[in-house]
Amino acid sequence: MNPSLEFLLIFIISLELSIKNNLYINLIVIAFALVYLVIRRISSKKLFALIAIPFIPAFTIFATLFWFNGKSDPYNAWSLATRVYVYTLTIACLAHDTTSSQFARSLEQNFHLPSKFTYGVLAALNIIPQMASAVKQIRVAGMMRGMYLSFWSPMLYFKAILVALNSADNLAQGMESHGYTEGQKRSVIEVVPMTKKDWLIFALLLALFNLGIFIL
Amino acid sequence: MVKNQSIKVKELTFAYQDEQPIINKLNLELDTGKFSLLIGPTGCGKSTLMKILAGLYPKYAGKLLAGSIDLAGLKTAMMFQNSGQQFTMATPREEIVFALENLGLDAANYQERLKLATDFTQIDNLLDQNISTMSGGEKQRVALAVLVAMDIDILILDEPFASCDPHARSFLIQKLAHLRDQGKTIIISDHVFDNYDSVCDHVYAFEAGNVKQLSLAEMEQLFKAVDYDYHFALPEDQAAAFVLDQVQISQRRLLLKQDQLKIVKGKVTLITGANGIGKSSFFKALTQLIPYEGSISYEGQEVRKAKSRTYLKDVGQIFQAATDQFLTVTVKDELELSLKNNPNVTMDEVDQLLVKLDLFNHKDQVVYSLSGGQKKKLQILLMLLSSQKVLLIDEPLSGLDHESVKQVVSLMKACQEKYQQTILVISHQLGELATWCDYHLLFDQQRLSYLER
Repeated sequence: MNPSLEFLLIFIISLELSIKNNLYINLIVIAFALVYLVIRRISSKKLFALIAIPFIPAFTIFATLFWFNGKSDPYNAWSLATRVYVYTLTIACLAHDTTSSQFARSLEQNFHLPSKFTYGVLAALNIIPQMASAVKQIRVAGMMRGMYLSFWSPMLYFKAILVALNSADNLAQGMESHGYTEGQKRSVIEVVPMTKKDWLIFALLLALFNLGIFIL
Repeated sequence: MVKNQSIKVKELTFAYQDEQPIINKLNLELDTGKFSLLIGPTGCGKSTLMKILAGLYPKYAGKLLAGSIDLAGLKTAMMFQNSGQQFTMATPREEIVFALENLGLDAANYQERLKLATDFTQIDNLLDQNISTMSGGEKQRVALAVLVAMDIDILILDEPFASCDPHARSFLIQKLAHLRDQGKTIIISDHVFDNYDSVCDHVYAFEAGNVKQLSLAEMEQLFKAVDYDYHFALPEDQAAAFVLDQVQISQRRLLLKQDQLKIVKGKVTLITGANGIGKSSFFKALTQLIPYEGSISYEGQEVRKAKSRTYLKDVGQIFQAATDQFLTVTVKDELELSLKNNPNVTMDEVDQLLVKLDLFNHKDQVVYSLSGGQKKKLQILLMLLSSQKVLLIDEPLSGLDHESVKQVVSLMKACQEKYQQTILVISHQLGELATWCDYHLLFDQQRLSYLER
């Protein structure tokens, strides 16, 4: 499915579910997302992380409403806790299908997001792995000069910010040197298709979902 | 194609912030369709001029105080000194798509240009690899590929071969000459003059904020190969600093598979090898930045098990990118930090060294605003002051002019003799540096082996 449409679908579902308090539809969406992820061959490690990590906020919400509310409210406790999984698992479907650059390019082409925003964010995302290794390297550089920087040392992050500022400046110049000019019309070489089939699936899923909300 | 035109720079004066102009009333006429080489000491303003020609300055830094530039209506694009920071996208293919979309090209043209650029720079195997995982030399090759794909009239290249192995270097220079023959204008800056002899049309030398064109005789003198007399021995039963046993290092692919190897203690060992072969990764394994299989022991202790805090006080590294080494803001702060660990050296002695390295007047400057070569010299000085027992040096000479190379090598030499350090040095530039090295390790086919000379 087209990444932008998939995102829009997930966004509408999440939005509707955050207004409508409905445990059963939450469970159906979760089940659907899980089945989808398994069909799309997500690795078991990733799936485990997707279930384990949201458990912390989900459990917190559940505990608050179930045990620490003046009057125990099991339905709301379950409903709000499962909502955490609705958000994480639906967006995981999108993340599993699409790379950041496909998603960004789709938003640019299909939803006409300004290119400045698209490529600015993409470039920043591409810097993240570099920043992670930079932090590691800064620590090593520090130890080599007798300066131990722990993970909570402000010095470490001060230096990391300097590195980031420096790369941000180089990046802006780099984009320009590769022909990018703000506001200039760009062509499309690798088209992100948005087909009738995409729209059909989108409309069908959205209709089914809303029907579900209405009935349940 | 446009010929007999020229790029004219008239009375150009440019300064960063409120400092003295770095370029002062510069007049320059560069013929289009020619291969021009810019030379001059580090920090003389070569990169600044190139960024002005590429239209990046004064937009991004500095002030144009006077003068004009006429590019004869041609398009310019530039390859930066630090080419790794020039990419917006994750892979070379995506970057080329990005650049060509910026130029408004369609899919048919893209296929053609992509093929042209990848064949030209031979990066087929790198096209879909993440750029952040590439070696310094590979990034430089990819940066050139993007410019070729963009089909730019004037290619401005700032020390494009600083991290290239000799083979890649001569290959790329020949390719650039080929582009020149097709009518492109090549403007290149470099400190190493090998391989230019038969291809370079003009040489321009920077002197005190201005530029002078070299005569043919001067060019001949410049390109004349200097013979250095150096020898490498084979290690015998000397004490070892590092002992490798059945070691494997992998980064996405297997880089090193070494049964036995000994690095001699208290001596200088040179490591050479092609781009991307794994030289820097070998250093990373020695500094605990990446894992390895098998055993690497340092003075009898397994490297992976050593406590970082104490181990890295013994084993230091001079990184390929100078800015990775800096921890504070100004030159002075950095020096004071290094002196803290070395009470044997006084600030007066450091001042003398700064004078030797032409850095004394930059003491209060922010380290990031130094020129490429100045950063490199400062970085080397900082690590020499830390006086580790072992120093791993990754391409210490990239970005340094001939004079600076001499200064730096003599400084490293003096330091090594004084502290009897074990030194491993990666370099593509032999010459001056090789005269200092005792042993030579060649990194080839996933193995390190000693060579005699």
